[in-house]
Amino acid sequence: MSVPEQSLITDEHRAQVGKKSDPATVVINEEDARRMRDVLGDTDPRYADGTGIAPPYVVAGMGGGPRRGMPQVLPGGLLTQQEWKFTRPFRIGEELQAVSQVYDIRDRLGGRYGYSVLVTQGTDYYDANGEHVASAMITITQFDPKSQRKGDE
Amino acid sequence: MTQRYYEDVNIGDETEPLERVPTTDMAIDFFGRDNPTNPAFSDIDAGKRLGVGGALVPGLLKLSWLTQYVSDWAGPAAAVRNLRAAYRRPDVADRPLTMAGHVVDKRIEDGRPIIELEVVTLADGQPSTRANVQVELPTRG
Repeated sequence: MSVPEQSLITDEHRAQVGKKSDPATVVINEEDARRMRDVLGDTDPRYADGTGIAPPYVVAGMGGGPRRGMPQVLPGGLLTQQEWKFTRPFRIGEELQAVSQVYDIRDRLGGRYGYSVLVTQGTDYYDANGEHVASAMITITQFDPKSQRKGDE
Repeated sequence: MTQRYYEDVNIGDETEPLERVPTTDMAIDFFGRDNPTNPAFSDIDAGKRLGVGGALVPGLLKLSWLTQYVSDWAGPAAAVRNLRAAYRRPDVADRPLTMAGHVVDKRIEDGRPIIELEVVTLADGQPSTRANVQVELPTRG
């Protein structure tokens, strides 16, 4: 695909900006925390079995996260920016409510693909008392793999 | 794990570099073998179709490593509060990544002693991920 004559972002895509999703329930699972710690080789005693605390990076594997319901303008996608915020530690076994929204969607000209679309979406996680626990925000650069510049393969 | 204190940290302090070698097994195990992930994390050809030259290292795995790296540097009474990362170049599995960083700011923010570090993953000496990390340290007072 060459550079399109006009934006591929439609009014329907733009209408999703700022619209909050219905809450999704996610559970901080001990097995997930242990598996992720093992892969990273994390021996921090704060997160060891029996402490009841999960390491902050379990947010990487949570369902209901920022990709949920993301507008898909182009078929390919690479994660290009990311932000995590932690208000307090995750507790093993706790249920959180995940609320996502699209923050921004924009065209980009140039670069490896000639034309790409940047979508920024975030998720906030709240505990049973409605208190903020963490948030995760991502920017995905969407592109058409067929439009990649020669020599970049 | 050594505990660092706000008063003892200075702008410009460097963290000890640490090397990791991401593999395709790590990429799959990190998210769980039963969970769907990007095929490019385990399939070299899928990675090549994305233009990354091999199996793609998940950005979430790199950011998790950087979280652990800063958390270990800061010590057990510290808390990572915020990470903001830009993925500048894709990384390919089985190629070593070196994590390194330095302190870029220290401040009291809403009454909390915050240290901000800029940390990177380096592949062949070039930054592939660059992140700013804010960590809350205890004070000696």
